[in-house]
Amino acid sequence: MFRFVVRRLLVTLPMVLVVITLTWALIRLAPGNFYQGERPLPPGIERNIRARYGLDQPWYVQYGKVMGNILRLDFGSSLRFENETVNDILRRTVPVSASIGALAYLLALVVGITMGTLAALRQNSATDYAAMGLSMLGISVPNFVLGPILVLVFSLSLYWLPPARWGGFPSWNLVLPVLTLSAVYTAYIARLTRAGMLEVLRSDYIRTARAKGLTERQVVVRHALRGGLLPVVSFTGPALAILITGTVVVERIFAMPGLGNYFINANLSRDEPLILGIVAFASVMVLVFNLLVDVAYGFIDPRIRY
Amino acid sequence: MTGTKTARLLTLAASAALLLSACAPQIGKSQFFGKLVPPEGQVLRYISGSELESLDPQMSSGQNEARINIAMFEGLTEYNPKTLEPIPAIAERWTNNSDASEFVFFLRHDAKFSNGDPITARDFVYTLRRGLRPELASRVSFMAWDIKYAQALNEGRAFVRDPKTGRFVLASEATEHGGAGEAAAPAPAKAGVEGVPDTDFNRLIHEPERLTVPFDEKERAKKTKASPKLAGLIAGKELVPVRPEDIGVEAVDDYTLRFTLRQPTPYFLGLTQHQFFRVIPEKVVERYGVNWSKPGNMVCSGTHMLAEHKPYNQIVVVKNPYYWDAANVHLDKIIFYPIEEQTTMMNLYKAGEVDATYNHSVPASWLRAGLRYSKDYMDAPENGSQYWQLNTKKGPTTDKRVRKALAMSIDRKALEGFRVVSKAMGGFVPDGIIPGYKGPPGFIKPDVEGAKRLLAEAGYKDASGKFDPAKFPANELEITFNTSESNRQVAEFIQNQWKQNLGVTIALRSVETKTYFGMRARLDYKGIAAGAGWSGDYMDPYTFLGLFVTEGGDNGTGWFDPAYAKMLTEANHEADRAKRFQMLAKAEEYLLDNAPVIPLLKPATSWMKKPYVKGMYPNPGTLHAWKFVYIEHDSAKWDQGMPDMTTPELAD
Repeated sequence: MFRFVVRRLLVTLPMVLVVITLTWALIRLAPGNFYQGERPLPPGIERNIRARYGLDQPWYVQYGKVMGNILRLDFGSSLRFENETVNDILRRTVPVSASIGALAYLLALVVGITMGTLAALRQNSATDYAAMGLSMLGISVPNFVLGPILVLVFSLSLYWLPPARWGGFPSWNLVLPVLTLSAVYTAYIARLTRAGMLEVLRSDYIRTARAKGLTERQVVVRHALRGGLLPVVSFTGPALAILITGTVVVERIFAMPGLGNYFINANLSRDEPLILGIVAFASVMVLVFNLLVDVAYGFIDPRIRY
Repeated sequence: MTGTKTARLLTLAASAALLLSACAPQIGKSQFFGKLVPPEGQVLRYISGSELESLDPQMSSGQNEARINIAMFEGLTEYNPKTLEPIPAIAERWTNNSDASEFVFFLRHDAKFSNGDPITARDFVYTLRRGLRPELASRVSFMAWDIKYAQALNEGRAFVRDPKTGRFVLASEATEHGGAGEAAAPAPAKAGVEGVPDTDFNRLIHEPERLTVPFDEKERAKKTKASPKLAGLIAGKELVPVRPEDIGVEAVDDYTLRFTLRQPTPYFLGLTQHQFFRVIPEKVVERYGVNWSKPGNMVCSGTHMLAEHKPYNQIVVVKNPYYWDAANVHLDKIIFYPIEEQTTMMNLYKAGEVDATYNHSVPASWLRAGLRYSKDYMDAPENGSQYWQLNTKKGPTTDKRVRKALAMSIDRKALEGFRVVSKAMGGFVPDGIIPGYKGPPGFIKPDVEGAKRLLAEAGYKDASGKFDPAKFPANELEITFNTSESNRQVAEFIQNQWKQNLGVTIALRSVETKTYFGMRARLDYKGIAAGAGWSGDYMDPYTFLGLFVTEGGDNGTGWFDPAYAKMLTEANHEADRAKRFQMLAKAEEYLLDNAPVIPLLKPATSWMKKPYVKGMYPNPGTLHAWKFVYIEHDSAKWDQGMPDMTTPELAD
């Protein structure tokens, strides 16, 4: 197990560097630049800007500088936000995105697993249909539709909850974004749990457990769920990585100062250091969470050993 | 099976709920939109637009930054809350010489920074010299290029001096010999402002304009290659880089500030309102460098000072106790919310979590649903212009007749009806905005027959000499626009008009915004760049007309005409405002006749303000001098519609 983890971690670094290099190249290939706006800049001013940000140097010098900085874990200053370093921005925005994402996923896990398990236990009953119907709805209603509906009901008609903005952690402002974000994950998890449970409930070891005279509760919680949740576990890795690195739509609808908001704007404004910083962070997250999932497999599924 | 049925039913129910909610946004005539509970005390919560690029007034270029900079920094002049005309601020009064090439400002003696330090003329000199340093790389420094040698400093140029005699080569020497490519402006009037002490600097700056050349060797080589005359002038001479001390800004004494300009600039007062001219504290900037504008470090000169900056969340400014007119500043606190989604803004507004929003913040669908009839909806004509640009360097649009024909064959009134709040516009300068200026009618009346005649003249005709759409190379043109729903709608509308009126179908092409800006700057588009808009920087037609005097045609169209530039220069030499405006109107007519642009619409400001927010007016730039704004807690005095804009008083 230890060797497996070390090996995977060693692969992570070059992979992140490859991702960063590709991103860097893509930004360079993309037309437009960070300073060009509605009014074409006078050439003299454009020259000043290019000199200040080192854009007048050959590409390999610029690339070397970027990579050198990144290896020192310093992504430099944002181009659009003049006196902010990328590290500052990450430090400030990751907690926002992570708290919304983690809460949403936690909610999705609790509700999704409960719904999925109930549906599997009472397959083809009204409970099953209701649970699966709801989850179908959760999957098919995109969050940019669900968010405004929730706002319309809870903020603009009932005036119960704030319609947008970050209010710190914890605060009432979190309720609607978390609900909006969790819907689709709840739905997926419910369906994955149901499918996994149905398969496991028919397997031999469950029959053995029942034959041993265990209560239904013990059978489900101690034996069936462990195997039935494997699909959910593999789904969790990438899902959590995506949630923590910011969810563009929800952050925009609810005006949350999270990473997703920065990421979309960094791309639109060709803010190279910020894009690279966020991409690097996101890829590390994806790789780490996938690793965690693989490790978790070893604990959950007795058949898997590293 | 039943599972999917239930799901279908539920989906149907949800869509029905959505539809119902969309159709009934509870907006009636004669009422206000959403909650009407004023915040406690004198606090304003304002949606200011996108997150700021910088809090440094000399670095930021947008109006979203301007709105916040107005609170934190004051300049020589301030915006009149209703008309945006310059009113006294740190300068109590000002005067200029006969041809508006020299301005002197007399500063009040009691102006202070938020740390208690006095604000003097020297602070303004520092502010401008710093803003124009090439190392700072400000994007808006061109706002101050009318100051003598400011452009030369900003572009890193150098004077040319004879090492033997110590004499500087003059700009006129380069042009007299037949155009060295370095066009010199006409020399300003010799007479400066009377009654202000003469100084050594003043005599020096009034000497005939010196020649400046790029200090950078490569750049200089380009120029000398293009002009052997210039090469001859430079040969054997030494180059003296233009220093910040060389520009035409002088602190005559602590409270007298003199600007010497490179040419008559009748609109100069309007420039002094811009954030680039707002004063910053030298000590603090020099101490903290780029971090001077962070909370904790920043020292302000405006009605308010920075208390908190949480990007993408909020900027809080509180009343500046040292502000010279603090007794008349009502708001104790302003909270700016940087938000980009229109729907989110409206949600917050309706829920009563914000008190006012910036311009163009109301979604078109909400306006159509009736929000425009709400009493707290602010709809006023804007000092802005929406137009399309034409590529005058490539393709069929190189022909002036084609450009004009395209502009003539659009029914702008129909377009106005199709849009919600924008108004049809035939000229390039929005009409009825700048007091006293009456531009030409331009293309306001469609003239399809005339357009066809022009196209036939351009060679696209059949045997009988009539315009033949089949001959027109429509495939060499494309309506390129930056992706946005509103741009697409306008583009489709006009595409259809050309199809109906001329029988010509021009394809649409949607590109991402930065890509679009890049394409347009390089003139790398096929014929038509759709989706330009310009908001005037100051209340003068020149803010629009001046867009087309950039040498080399850096205006997205490639069009540059010395005759046009001359017309504008001559107009700016005219001291009489009415006469000058007539001359500018002539220049506008000339511009429209050459049609590098297709003017389309005059935008409306379109924003929301709760009735208890007073002293905030739907002015043509949606720029508010915050000192006049206050929260009225007595509901009997609340606004019942758009506030009165006709009374001359600054505050009600």
